[in-house]
Amino acid sequence: MTSTIDKLQAILRRDLLTAVRHRSGFVVTLVGVFLELAAFYFLSRAIGPGFRPGGVEYFPFLLVGTGLYTFFVMSAQAFLSSVQEAQQTGTLEVLMTTSTAPSELIILSSISAFARNLVNLAIYVFAGVAVFRASIQANFFSCALVLVFSLAIALALGIAAATLQVAFQKGSSVLWLLSSGLWLLSGTMFPTQSLPRPLEYVSRMVPFSYAIDGMRRALLEGQSPAAMSGTLAMLAAFALVLLPLALIALSLSLRRARQNGTLSYY
Amino acid sequence: MDAVVFQSVSKTFRHRPALFNWLGRERGGETIALKDVSFSAAPAEVLALLGPNGSGKTTTLKLISTMLLPDAGSVRVAGCDTRGDSGLVRRRVGIAIATERSFFPRLSARENLDFFAALDEVSRRERRERIAEVLSETGLEEQSDTLVMKFSSGMFQRLGIARALVKRPAVLLLDEPTRSMDAATTAHFWTTIRALAKQKTTILIATHNFAEATAVADRLLLLHHGELLADRRVLEHENADELRSFYFRMTGEIDEAALRI
Repeated sequence: MTSTIDKLQAILRRDLLTAVRHRSGFVVTLVGVFLELAAFYFLSRAIGPGFRPGGVEYFPFLLVGTGLYTFFVMSAQAFLSSVQEAQQTGTLEVLMTTSTAPSELIILSSISAFARNLVNLAIYVFAGVAVFRASIQANFFSCALVLVFSLAIALALGIAAATLQVAFQKGSSVLWLLSSGLWLLSGTMFPTQSLPRPLEYVSRMVPFSYAIDGMRRALLEGQSPAAMSGTLAMLAAFALVLLPLALIALSLSLRRARQNGTLSYY
Repeated sequence: MDAVVFQSVSKTFRHRPALFNWLGRERGGETIALKDVSFSAAPAEVLALLGPNGSGKTTTLKLISTMLLPDAGSVRVAGCDTRGDSGLVRRRVGIAIATERSFFPRLSARENLDFFAALDEVSRRERRERIAEVLSETGLEEQSDTLVMKFSSGMFQRLGIARALVKRPAVLLLDEPTRSMDAATTAHFWTTIRALAKQKTTILIATHNFAEATAVADRLLLLHHGELLADRRVLEHENADELRSFYFRMTGEIDEAALRI
């Protein structure tokens, strides 16, 4: 346990040092957050106050939807990029020869990628509330529960992207396809009830639609965990199924890459 | 118990061309990297792997390090199989491969070593001391706090060796370790290798440098087209020229440098 914490600290320190030494990176991210929020704010004003999906104002609806969607996709993307970069520089092969098991290494690395994007999500929501006056009515315990399950699901997505990268060197293409599909089906910008019936059914199989819906209910309507138990149960079920599946797939793809000698192919 | 045992190991790389191969001319088929190779290395022994490009030297090192798995046969390190006990093998093996850029560019040499040492489960208490030690052994003390993106090829190479040493491996694998080193650093490095062997480290060096092989190795393995052509001790007072002629005689290749003389 001590050694795992030590490794996590080493990975977080590596990523933090790399981030701060890209001096302009943090400022660019902050400016990007404000520009994006401004665009959504003015979009909601253009649509007008009459449009209240699920009974909430449109700007807070967008704030939660786009914030969580960006968190999911950017986390998976950040994680995937670190795997691609490690393949290109040859670091991946060396990392796989350390005393740390590959699956442990990948999970610890992904925690770092997700932590960074979690901070970005917090800044995004805070700026939306503080600067653009989005009205929230948070039940923080419900928010935390949704976030924990969402993290587990996002982790599974990140690991799946890394698996595809190791197996087929095509993680980016698959992630792009997935993120486009999620944009459509997860209720990021509009309620999934607006979709044609067959697509609405498909959206019910997308875990992110439950995460976004759950976060809206917890953050914007202040619902208690009991009131949203169905959504939480679905999120827990997705997390319990997807995370082990992603880990098994990753383990198999790493073994296959070691057998075929394709670990550093990109 | 032998430190490394290669038993009838074969390894083939299969190349499957792209889906629309008529757009280009990618070659399919397979490359036989190793063919039924067997050898062993005793504790504290230094083995030089010689052979032309593509003879299977790097593949041999990668198989010992668990980067690759054998298609047939078995590879054992201190009795642990690389296929079944890869975790135990990785704890015992340190590898410095020829890829120069396998570091995090915006970290300093010391920070890179600290990161890899943490993953190699070197305790926080010991890390500082060990990192200082390997930086000194590889002559990188002055550059220890420089970001590695500013490093030259030779510095990268030395840092790769420092990384392999920081976990104090029982088996050290080095792929062309002195390729980009200057003469003084090379001489210092050879002394370090002999000192490590005295401390019971088994060392396998893949090299094209005959002087290096005679200076540091106890035994030679000569690979050619994936086959082990020779496995013999380095003779007492054998020099680089003698080894060079042995090499060309065994591989059947033409020594153009000798023809010019």
